[in-house]
Amino acid sequence: MNIILDVKNLCKTYIVNKRQNNILKNVSFTVADGEMVAVMGPSGSGKSTLLYSVSGMDSITAGDVSFCGSNISKLNAKELAALRLNKMGFIFQQMYMLKNLTILDNIILPACQSDKINESRKETVQRGQKLMRKLGIIEIADNDINEVSGGQLQRACICRSMINRPEMIFADEPTGALNRTSSEEVMRELSKVNSEGTTIMLVTHDVKVAAKCTRVLYLVDGNIKGEYNLERCPSDSQLRERERLLSNWLMEMGW
Amino acid sequence: MYFRIIKKDLKRKKTMNVILLIFIMLAATFISSSANNMISVMTALDTYFEMAEVPDYWFLTTDSNSTKRFEEFVNENNYNFKSLDLMMIDSNEIKLDGSKFEYSGSICISGLKNSIKVFDSGDKEITSVKDGEIYITSALFNEEQYNFSENSRIQITIGDKTKEFTLKGSTKDAEFGSESIGTTRFIVSENDFKYFYDKDTVIMNSINVYTDDEEYLDKFYNLELNTLFNLDKSAIKRMYFMDMLIALVMLIVSVCLILISMVILRFTINFTMSEEFREIGVMKAIGISNRKIRGLYIVKYLAISLAGASIGLFFSIPFGKIMMKDVAKNIIIPNQNNVVLNIVCAAGTAAVVVLFCYFCTRKIKKISPIDAIRNGENGERYSEKSIISLKKLRFSPIIFMALNDIFSGLKRFIAMIVIFILGLLLIIIPENTINTLQSDSRVTLFNMAECNHVISQELLFISNTDYKKVMTDKLNNIKNVLDKNNIEAKVFQEATFRMTVSYKGKKESSLAFQGLGDVTTDMYAYLEGTAPQKNDEIAISKLVADRIGANIGDTVEVKNGDQIKEYIITATLQSMNNLGEGIRFYQDEELDYSYVNGCFGIQVKYSDFPDEDELNQRKALLEKVEPDNKIFTPGEYIGYMIGDISGQIGNIRNLILALVLCVNILVTVLMVKSFIVKEKGELAILKAIGFNDSSLIAWQTIRIGIILLISIVFCTLLSTPLSKLTIEPIFKMMGAVSIKFEIVPIKVYLFYPLIIFVVTVLAAWITSFQLRKISAFEVSNIE
Repeated sequence: MNIILDVKNLCKTYIVNKRQNNILKNVSFTVADGEMVAVMGPSGSGKSTLLYSVSGMDSITAGDVSFCGSNISKLNAKELAALRLNKMGFIFQQMYMLKNLTILDNIILPACQSDKINESRKETVQRGQKLMRKLGIIEIADNDINEVSGGQLQRACICRSMINRPEMIFADEPTGALNRTSSEEVMRELSKVNSEGTTIMLVTHDVKVAAKCTRVLYLVDGNIKGEYNLERCPSDSQLRERERLLSNWLMEMGW
Repeated sequence: MYFRIIKKDLKRKKTMNVILLIFIMLAATFISSSANNMISVMTALDTYFEMAEVPDYWFLTTDSNSTKRFEEFVNENNYNFKSLDLMMIDSNEIKLDGSKFEYSGSICISGLKNSIKVFDSGDKEITSVKDGEIYITSALFNEEQYNFSENSRIQITIGDKTKEFTLKGSTKDAEFGSESIGTTRFIVSENDFKYFYDKDTVIMNSINVYTDDEEYLDKFYNLELNTLFNLDKSAIKRMYFMDMLIALVMLIVSVCLILISMVILRFTINFTMSEEFREIGVMKAIGISNRKIRGLYIVKYLAISLAGASIGLFFSIPFGKIMMKDVAKNIIIPNQNNVVLNIVCAAGTAAVVVLFCYFCTRKIKKISPIDAIRNGENGERYSEKSIISLKKLRFSPIIFMALNDIFSGLKRFIAMIVIFILGLLLIIIPENTINTLQSDSRVTLFNMAECNHVISQELLFISNTDYKKVMTDKLNNIKNVLDKNNIEAKVFQEATFRMTVSYKGKKESSLAFQGLGDVTTDMYAYLEGTAPQKNDEIAISKLVADRIGANIGDTVEVKNGDQIKEYIITATLQSMNNLGEGIRFYQDEELDYSYVNGCFGIQVKYSDFPDEDELNQRKALLEKVEPDNKIFTPGEYIGYMIGDISGQIGNIRNLILALVLCVNILVTVLMVKSFIVKEKGELAILKAIGFNDSSLIAWQTIRIGIILLISIVFCTLLSTPLSKLTIEPIFKMMGAVSIKFEIVPIKVYLFYPLIIFVVTVLAAWITSFQLRKISAFEVSNIE
């Protein structure tokens, strides 16, 4: 399989009050095309920092991050923005959307800004609606963001992250702010997206979420302490067993 | 504890606090200096008139019989009066430092005996003038084009007598010092005056009457004297309206600035509060009283206000002096530096700011601690709703977002719109005033017909008893020259008289006009009715008609010299001559021209429509025909008659333009910075999903641009009615009942808005660069 993300010796250091905090220490890993990788670890281990560093949202202190063949540490702000717009999709824990736009407008906004897909505005709208239909939220297309539930909003965020047909989706605790039902719905959709070929890297504290991935990276104090590989597309009956095995492994890691 | 919170707040929001400080400072500077100037000028006229012993009534006459009759009248009635002899000088016969003196206004010369008191440039009374020395009025002295200076050599010729004088300085002359009076006075020694005095010389008498007799005017009109004009003290005071106008414009600017300061303050307080909802909520939750929370803000704004007002006070003194420099040239302004008033105004500004803060912080009372902690958004409701949709519009997302922000949350841009509108109005209103004052059609307000050129004529009225024939010959001569050059034109001129008009026992003395040469009464502008078409028909100014209680269709009696005749009023007209006087006679009516008391310049109206080049060529031709006189456009001629107020307003407009640009830059910087702080989360999201910095900078800039365009549209709609509202009363004071504002669309609707637009949008663009500091990563820090 093609390597889509290649991280070598990644270091990230913050200086706070003249004190150096090494958040990520020589982290190296790869993500292959079509994978769904979960990053887990205790609070403060650097999970979100890792996600934002490898996606070019945050700068890195040392090391190399190669995404789709581009060394993102050498790209300027404009090139990074173009990369995020056309090749990456983002989902955040909070359902961040622009307050004064409708759900559909929020979803198609990146597509209207991008020239990656040569299409008319009408076609963009149709594509946005198709995505919404697929994720079961077409009925809220013209609603304002205050008129929908958290689960619906997060699914709308997934639609937005997919609108420009990205190579990879980065998700920072996508179910962190959702109740159990909504959380399951969102993960079902993400799994579906992944099974259709989109690579996903997500940060989570939830074993149930991680159990749906193909690989789990366990981060402690800025280092990858362990890696756990899972088979693709488990059936619901297998899932419970995977969760148990994953929990055991996490316990071993010190979870 | 409180002071530590305030100290931290001042440090944390440094930029916004500094901008607010600058606004308060500017407001305090302008209010203190302008209020001081206004009060100084208002009281100064009274004080100055008292010092100068300005009479209760003043009139000028060239008719010795009228002077004699008046002297008999005042002796019978025991009125206190002074009669001053003046001689008119032909400005063509004056040489300044050996060169010809190119001046087209009227000039007279007198000694000091029987004159009202006059003062030098240092406000000291001039009690005597040595032989060979001369003083001129400050209005003329200060005209840059003539380069007058102390010790300039001025040679005067009257009749066959010539004498050279040394210019001693300028005078503040209450009667002849206003630019509106149209005649300037040179003061020489009694001996030098007598030297020129000759029985053949036309003497003009300036008669000053001091009385509190309320029936004086009625008795005076019954005398039916032949006067050039007669004014009471209030009318003399109104002659200084131009000087007052400058101070008034600055006061309006100041009022606008304080309004802008208030709008900014309101925005800042609301913004600060929405930003600090969480802190306010926590303070409320832990039991700090509303009064104390409110006190925190009030103390903060009190500190900023006091600092701003103090700095403003410091600057107001030199600024006020600069503003008064022009006004103090013509009149005595006592107590120019009324520091107490400055302090009161600056303190007032600070007090208003604090009071405003007090009212703005009422909101604290209404919000619950939990609402405040939730930052006003409890997760279930947002105030902003989408108004337009990206799916329906074909705009780029950046333009769409800018438009949607404005339409979905117009309230937060109101402050900006108000400020931009006020700023633009402050430029456009003076600009409309200048264009109206400079327009050629303004001649119609001075009882003249519209024309293309005016040839100055100053002295013909003095000695010509056969004025009509001399002038008609002259007009024919000019017309012949034009005919020879294949230029078809009407050449005409206004002769003026002083006549008494009466209706049902009410009498009024008024300036009267008759056109000589190729002119008919239908060429003049009238307010109502139709132009006089017969010998016994007249048009009459609205002011005179109102004073005698006559209307169109009424028959009035008019006394011309010794002759009394009845005339039917067929029309009313507006007149800015002598603050509203005017009677127009039919062109063929036989008037007694031995009583003519003045004339306007010779007017030339071309039958074709020459372009500017052709007009310049024709002007050159007229200059050859009339080498001793100046050729003006009609607008220039009026400027020459009443003084160049448009130049002064022009200077002020330029000052205002610079000020408005500064204000717009400051407001834009403040607002854009505020928006960036407020929209930090949204900017981070947009960056995270792939919007680059330049797109986001364009978003912020386009939004300001649209706001500015909205303001320009509103301003365009408001400018004409507001120009009328503010400027028309001033014209009314001068006798112009209905003014047609001259609007130069390119300047008003394109040039100034474009300057404002470019500078403001540039300020927004540069300020928006600040958003580059926001990282997409900060999306994880959104609260």
